[in-house]
Amino acid sequence: MPVEPRLRRLLLVILLLVFALPFLYLPLLSVSDRWVFPDAWPKRLTLQHWVSAGQLFGSLVYGLSLSLAVSVSATALGFWVSRMLAKHDRRRMLLRLAYLPYAFSPVVYAFCLQYFFYKTALVGTFAGVWLAQLFITFPFCVLVLTPWWSARVFDMENLVYTFGGSAQDAWRRVLLPMARPVLLLCWFQAFLISWFDYGLTSVLGLGRVPTLTVRVFQYIGEANPYVAAASSCLLVLPPLLLLWLNKRALFRVESVSFT
Amino acid sequence: MSYFVGQGLTAGYGDTEIYAALSFSLEKGETLAILGRSGCGKTTLLKTLAGLHPASAGEVILNGEVLTGREPGRRGILYLYQEPLLFPHLNVFENVAFGLRLRRIVEAEVRTRTNALLEKLELGPPARQMPEQLSGGQKQRVAFGRALNVQPPVLLLDEPFGNLDVETRANMQQLFKTIAREQHISAIFVTHDLKEAVLMGDRLAYMESGQLSTYADLDAFVADPRTGMSREMDFWQTIHLKNAPTDRL
Repeated sequence: MPVEPRLRRLLLVILLLVFALPFLYLPLLSVSDRWVFPDAWPKRLTLQHWVSAGQLFGSLVYGLSLSLAVSVSATALGFWVSRMLAKHDRRRMLLRLAYLPYAFSPVVYAFCLQYFFYKTALVGTFAGVWLAQLFITFPFCVLVLTPWWSARVFDMENLVYTFGGSAQDAWRRVLLPMARPVLLLCWFQAFLISWFDYGLTSVLGLGRVPTLTVRVFQYIGEANPYVAAASSCLLVLPPLLLLWLNKRALFRVESVSFT
Repeated sequence: MSYFVGQGLTAGYGDTEIYAALSFSLEKGETLAILGRSGCGKTTLLKTLAGLHPASAGEVILNGEVLTGREPGRRGILYLYQEPLLFPHLNVFENVAFGLRLRRIVEAEVRTRTNALLEKLELGPPARQMPEQLSGGQKQRVAFGRALNVQPPVLLLDEPFGNLDVETRANMQQLFKTIAREQHISAIFVTHDLKEAVLMGDRLAYMESGQLSTYADLDAFVADPRTGMSREMDFWQTIHLKNAPTDRL
């Protein structure tokens, strides 16, 4: 075999190992006991940490509910607002404003919002964290969805009207089916932003909004790496499941969005 | 009164007037070809007639009924864009059947009418294909079929064959002529191609800087130096004369 293909294959294997290593290491750590340096392998394997992590089931459901609420509302609102923006004369300036929430780190942003959230009694509530996460995910959805509203899309909408269709027909039969891939991509990304958010949720949730991400950070803080590993496995499970369920749509999205 | 009439139409974007006090008339089953350079206001005129762009003055009348201010879907005027604008999530059959589905026509009739039209447009075999699998000419035929399937009283064609190669374009022009004659479609066909305007129009018009001039016959069209028709004829005459001695050999 010539050198170049061999080198390419070696690089590919190294890359695969780099990507796969966390997914191999985390499950192993979660069933390990007394695995200390310089041991190459844990002294004992046990499912005990998974039993402890099982207590996090409530947080898993709570976090899922929050992330689903955030991602669905951010995508729906983003789709509607991006349509308005696409037609707006000052579209560019308004789109630049959508980048503002990303100028701060989420924790700094949370501290900026905290006063208003105290005043409105939203601190430490599901609704408060939902709103705070919406401040981050909604501009993201607007930024992703605005370019989709091209002149061509508006022409297609007008075509429905000249055929005698109503606005409802245009949305149901043309706009929503056409936007399905980009909406899925946007929803999935918004879900990930919400699911893995720690800064906003911990500062504005005051520990009373127990998402799985917040609980995992607590375990890490308590220096319990085995339970932290088990709960981290739980943490990556929903995104992996969603990725697997939507892989066809998401891969198609990339070709639609970036070509 | 003529079947389709535009009277004193004025339209623009913001403070910019695109055309003013523009008038035309069209008989049933007649095609008016409007020749004009890019940016002369042809597309805005068609969009105004279709109800997609507001007119600041004037009236659009179809078969004696004033359409001004009426929603696009309630005008009976179909606007065919330069791009085929096929719905990417629907296959060829569903694209062509789209207008009938909007009108809630029974399934059996949708199938009969759509299949018959697909056959006529030689689109029978690719009926289950998606738009991305079609050639440029096929896409335009599907767009054409989608418009014809609802049997619109008036069809507005905005340089529909502009993006096609010479041969496909000639085929589509022929197809349009045949079907327009068969179905007695009244149409306004705008183009910036001189030859296409002469081929497609039963009557001819020229649009420049928002002003529309209509001609009584082809001679009047040729006589107007702005159309470029006499220059074009002179050119071909010169070519013919140059080749004449060789032809005789």
